[in-house]
Amino acid sequence: MIASLQKLTVKYGSFTALNELTGEIPEGCVGLLGPNGAGKTTLLKTLLGFVRPFSGSATVLGEDVTHAGRALRQRVGLMPEQDCHIPGLSAVSFVAFAGELAGMPSAQALRRAHEVLEYCGLGEARYRDVDTFSTGMRQRIKLAQALVHGPKLLLLDEPTNGLDPRGREEILELIRAISHGKEINVVISSHLLPDIERVSDVAIVLVGGQIRATGRISDLKRLDGQPVDVELREPSETFVSRVVALGGKIQSGRPSAYRIQMPGKPEEVLAALFGAARDTGSQIRGFQHAERSLEDAFMLAVAPSSPTEVP
Amino acid sequence: MPGPIADLSYRNYTGLLEPPLWRWWVIAKMTMRTSIKKKGFWALAVLSAYWYVFLGVIFYFIETLGSGAGVALSPVLAKIVWRDQFLNGFNLSQLFLFVLALLIGVGTISNDSRAHALLVYLSKPCTKADYLIGKWVAIFLILAAVGAVPTFLFYGYCALSYSRYGFFTSEPFLVAKLIEMVMLPAAFHASVCLGVSSLFNQGRLAGAAYAGIYFMTGAFVLMMRAVYAVDTSLNGRRHLPQTAIHMIGTLTYASVNGLENALAKIVLDTDGSGLVPGGRGAGAVVPAPDGLPFGIVYVAICAICLLIAWSRIRAVEVVGR
Repeated sequence: MIASLQKLTVKYGSFTALNELTGEIPEGCVGLLGPNGAGKTTLLKTLLGFVRPFSGSATVLGEDVTHAGRALRQRVGLMPEQDCHIPGLSAVSFVAFAGELAGMPSAQALRRAHEVLEYCGLGEARYRDVDTFSTGMRQRIKLAQALVHGPKLLLLDEPTNGLDPRGREEILELIRAISHGKEINVVISSHLLPDIERVSDVAIVLVGGQIRATGRISDLKRLDGQPVDVELREPSETFVSRVVALGGKIQSGRPSAYRIQMPGKPEEVLAALFGAARDTGSQIRGFQHAERSLEDAFMLAVAPSSPTEVP
Repeated sequence: MPGPIADLSYRNYTGLLEPPLWRWWVIAKMTMRTSIKKKGFWALAVLSAYWYVFLGVIFYFIETLGSGAGVALSPVLAKIVWRDQFLNGFNLSQLFLFVLALLIGVGTISNDSRAHALLVYLSKPCTKADYLIGKWVAIFLILAAVGAVPTFLFYGYCALSYSRYGFFTSEPFLVAKLIEMVMLPAAFHASVCLGVSSLFNQGRLAGAAYAGIYFMTGAFVLMMRAVYAVDTSLNGRRHLPQTAIHMIGTLTYASVNGLENALAKIVLDTDGSGLVPGGRGAGAVVPAPDGLPFGIVYVAICAICLLIAWSRIRAVEVVGR
């Protein structure tokens, strides 16, 4: 567990941005999902101690966010949503300076800055003034300055904003590489569901300052009753009739593709469906356990309903 | 060709991380480094020393030509009040020092705000105090150095060349007073620059605001000086009552330059004089003001500006709080 929230409430004047948030952020790569104004960025800022909670408490890496201050920020890296850099510095000076600010000796900070810029795809532009960088390059340098001191927790706020498709792929690949097997925990806030799906293992859906759903992404996408999607070579009414006769329900269907829900264990369902195809002379071209898209899961979570937690 | 066998994937940093103290010095070093790289910095720094160079040349020729190859004492040099020469050099360098403050100091927070650099600073183990102290120290050290280098080069020149004209005996604690004299305007500019800079999101606007304050108060002081000079130059006959003259004399220090001039006079314990005491325009010299009220005004302005900066520095803009 990298963070724990206990009835965390954050207010901006009379507006409540986070409303008695309670939960845990597990280790690994965690995606923060939510519509605009859901409180994602506020949560990141609160975890970093930028915003003082109105009530409740939060701990990050075992430290209380309201009191840990500098000790906590030395172990955390932040890639903010908005463009940020220090005017007048070259890329390598900027990243090395960020390392020195975090406590790295200057020689090591400079060496590490070169390394990190290579990782972030800015090796060729390292001596250019950051003021001259394109939007995509600025995204990358924000990631570089967040990574330079080897944080235990990386907070990424909309990391793929402004990137072209190739740049987006590269950044997501880098985030995935960083967050898997490198002992760095990542919390990534984004409204781009494919990005979250690509890099995160766990998602937390925030709506109106409250957690609406939390759990592994595969679990969030799972459908009740474990239906399967079967695709035939060509439409077959006899196959459908046979499945219905075996107790199956056809939930949805295109001409040759069917979402079927049948009673029984998964292996029994598998045997029954292949048996029905054999008996009716149908040829199965595709077979997979059905799941909803993350977008559907997200829409379900943000719909006005009670919070759901997937174990 | 086989691929590289080295692991080129991301590797985390596992080296030393120093305790999160003294971050202000890291900020100060970087601010100084970027400041002295700015175009015009060195030109202004050199130009600020022009009066000392001029004085050095004048004194050299006075002694060489006027005292028979240095055998006899030069009557002109014998009359010189040495500390007043430093006061004049200080006063004439103030405009350049102000322009330098505009160049390196007044955009320091506003440019950071515009580039959201505060997020970078404050997301690292730095506090607001580290940031403010680092910026202040950087501006202060640069301006103090720009003021101190020509002052002490001139001091060294005078010490080596004019000790027989009473350079040491007339003012034994001059070094300490000169250190204080060059530090006061540096601290003032550093504080005001941070205060003004924190009020704007663009360095140019902040610079325009500070320049406006500087020149408007400067124009007011010029008028007061003109009144003072006219009243004291008519065959020694004064037309205004003594209290009015005293008030006008005090108001001649009511500008950025004037305040610094007043403090320099107080520190050097002199009313000032021209190149040679009793020369042209000596009657218009405004006496040094009382130290306490000017000291209080100086400290109050610095403190208010730093408080403004402190209140404006935030990692995130929180609307409605």
